[in-house]
Amino acid sequence: MATRSRRRVAAFAAALLAVSLSACTGEESSSDDLSGNRVGAMSDYAVNSQFKATEALNFSILYNNHPNYPIKNEWLFWSELTKRTGVTLQPTAVPLSDYEQKRSLLIGAGDAPLIIPKTYPGQETPFVASGSILPVSDYLDLMPNFKDKITKWNLQPDVDQLRQLDGKFYLLPGLHENVWTDYSLGVRTDILAQLNLTAPKTWDEVYTMLKAMKAAYPNQYPMSDRWSKPTPGGALFNYMAGAFSTNGGWGYRNDYWDADAKKFVFTGATDGYRQMVTYLNKLVKEGLLDPESFTQDDDTAIQKLATGKSFVISANAQELVNKYRTTMAETLPKATMVKIPQPVGPAGEVKAGSRLENGVMISKKARESKNFVAMMQFIDWLYYSDAGQEFAKWGVPGTTYDKDASGKITLAPDVDYVKLNPTATKHLQKDFGFGNGVFAYGGTTALLQSTFSAEELEYQKAMDTRKILPVPPPHPYEDAEAEQATLWETPLKDHVAQMTLKFILGQRDLSEWDAYVAELKAKNSDAYIELVNKAYDRFAKQRG
Amino acid sequence: MVTVGRKPARRRMQVTRGYRVFQAVNAVVLTVVVIVTLYPFVNVVARSFSQESYIRAGQVNLVPRGFNLATYKLVMADDMFWANYRNTVFYTVVATAVAITLTTCYAYVLSKKHLRGRSALVGIAVFTMFFSGGLIPNYILITSLGLKNSVWAIALPNAISVFNLLVMKAFFESMPVELEEAAAVDGLDTYRILWRIVLPLSKAMIATMVLFYAVAFWNSWFSAFLYMDQSDLFPVTVYLRNLIAGATGAGSVGAADADLQTAANIQAVTIVLTVVPILLVYPFVQRYFVSGVMLGAVKG
Repeated sequence: MATRSRRRVAAFAAALLAVSLSACTGEESSSDDLSGNRVGAMSDYAVNSQFKATEALNFSILYNNHPNYPIKNEWLFWSELTKRTGVTLQPTAVPLSDYEQKRSLLIGAGDAPLIIPKTYPGQETPFVASGSILPVSDYLDLMPNFKDKITKWNLQPDVDQLRQLDGKFYLLPGLHENVWTDYSLGVRTDILAQLNLTAPKTWDEVYTMLKAMKAAYPNQYPMSDRWSKPTPGGALFNYMAGAFSTNGGWGYRNDYWDADAKKFVFTGATDGYRQMVTYLNKLVKEGLLDPESFTQDDDTAIQKLATGKSFVISANAQELVNKYRTTMAETLPKATMVKIPQPVGPAGEVKAGSRLENGVMISKKARESKNFVAMMQFIDWLYYSDAGQEFAKWGVPGTTYDKDASGKITLAPDVDYVKLNPTATKHLQKDFGFGNGVFAYGGTTALLQSTFSAEELEYQKAMDTRKILPVPPPHPYEDAEAEQATLWETPLKDHVAQMTLKFILGQRDLSEWDAYVAELKAKNSDAYIELVNKAYDRFAKQRG
Repeated sequence: MVTVGRKPARRRMQVTRGYRVFQAVNAVVLTVVVIVTLYPFVNVVARSFSQESYIRAGQVNLVPRGFNLATYKLVMADDMFWANYRNTVFYTVVATAVAITLTTCYAYVLSKKHLRGRSALVGIAVFTMFFSGGLIPNYILITSLGLKNSVWAIALPNAISVFNLLVMKAFFESMPVELEEAAAVDGLDTYRILWRIVLPLSKAMIATMVLFYAVAFWNSWFSAFLYMDQSDLFPVTVYLRNLIAGATGAGSVGAADADLQTAANIQAVTIVLTVVPILLVYPFVQRYFVSGVMLGAVKG
């Protein structure tokens, strides 16, 4: 391997030398010279222009094969893509179940395709040190649509989070115009009506509502929650945390960015975290929240809901429609349920979350290809231009969808997608290859919401008005720091998770909070935060 | 015939009160064990035929409720499923044949105490029990040997299971040396001793090993997943694994009704579809299976 790549580098260097004999510069500047890599590229490619390679090109791509719409060579997506852009993609299909593992293997073995999509922010970090992934931030000038969206949607701080120690980032993330929140509380509205209650808007009102439910049904827990495996309270803590100015559940990180003080603080010891835990403890103490919420599996929680033993549960749009309602239709025909906008807490009308989606990594060896510039333009068009995103999601106008003058998209009557035309004979994903998770994600709010039901749009409208909390700034570690941080992080995280549950379930009294904070300090929480802040300061200074 | 005739007499003599109690307790305990082991399997079968809402409400026990075949139909209607099933059978047969041949040869050689460097050869095998080259070096090796996307990528790296090798070696060692000496005196060379004397006497052992290897290859998915790049080369285990991931993952936004039914009992259907064929192999080798393991283990 080593000799082969060395030989390749040598050949490459020789070629460069031949092309630019006059330029007697070092390797550093010659590697940024793209003059030998422009074959097939457009010279006037810009925002909103249609990318079309000047000659037929082939690019290899790692393909995440979803079993619900297994890859087919005859998909309209492939042929239409080639027609529009002149590019033919050559997919290596990998089962979705173990995509990450195969990706690591192929990159590690130097066998990876040029385009590596379906990579979530953070997943690229382990590959950075090996040098097998392209620092894409060096080549953003080739990607006008990507740059345009970053500026237009004010996404620079989000993208900055991806920066590694060298100040570069290695992943082209999917970009959302707005923070998309999906998880919130699902509430039985027939019980609300029966008790003369309105849907709660704040966490205090949630408490009042549960209290009233408990009064009417004293022998049961009005709320029993799910999404607790493997992370207890994974969903609940995650969407609650924003309201209490902290983070938790799936989104738990030891370092919380205090935007006012402009520094990181230890999440599990913040006041907001304490308030959240105290609130949940109150619910458990008064019999409003099933203590098993944090240990039971999803099916058990849904069974409790379906058998009328509980009335409130965490929900997302899909689970509400597909599981809660369909299951209750059999067991409790009169039950109705909605997903309420996330209740507001002490932090006010805010919403937290990332606007970055999974995205694309590019193999370093692509840089050596004579078609490199064309490839970057192609990726920019397909993944980041409005036209490319609409194409990837909806397909070909007149065949799979229609768009009226106001921009409203209607699916063709004989095509089904997310149950929009349930009786249709053809399926947008299965038969045409559009709406494919490998190519279609992110984009404008209008595009995202073009598939939402009226009910979900209502929910999103309520959430859209909320202020987006600032994202934490990047603090990339040096190697030794990274090692040290990892050593500290896991025990701290475990202790916080463990004590969070003990406090909530009342196994440990909240009066012992200070003792708990002292335990965290004994586990180096101070030293850890100091390390984070040091890394943050250094990086901020470096970048000016 | 003689033993059959003698049995009733023996039993009459031993039927004491204590023995009858023992038998009763035995029957009860064993029945309980059978129920405990069978229940999960029957439950899985029942779930595989049940309707989604009953499964989700936890109302399926021994008998399917809301009988339907939606998931079976969905799985079996896919050509890829059958293509991959054929692959599984093919890979299992080839890999088992290769594994049995190589393991038998290696074990037989190792069982000869007069072999020079025997302990080194054992050491080489045992070493691989504890250390391996790692994922990426293995992948590079297989790739540069040109084995990728062929049955050999599955059969060769897993051809010798050290555990099976040691069991087999112990078995061969326990064979009376005199047998082979006698054969040698009668003029047989090493290979013919192995072929005509040792192997016919080892049918029990071989049957056991066939079962061990076949079940292992039947269930395996990882090496196929690593070394195969095309969906139509995968064994059915990879296919079903992916189906489960897709049906249970949070990523399937807006799943259709059919997908819901699938998500509910896909695991059950999968288990039934993959377990039944290999289960059918058991009755044929079970006889040997018991005595085979005993022979190797006890005397080794």
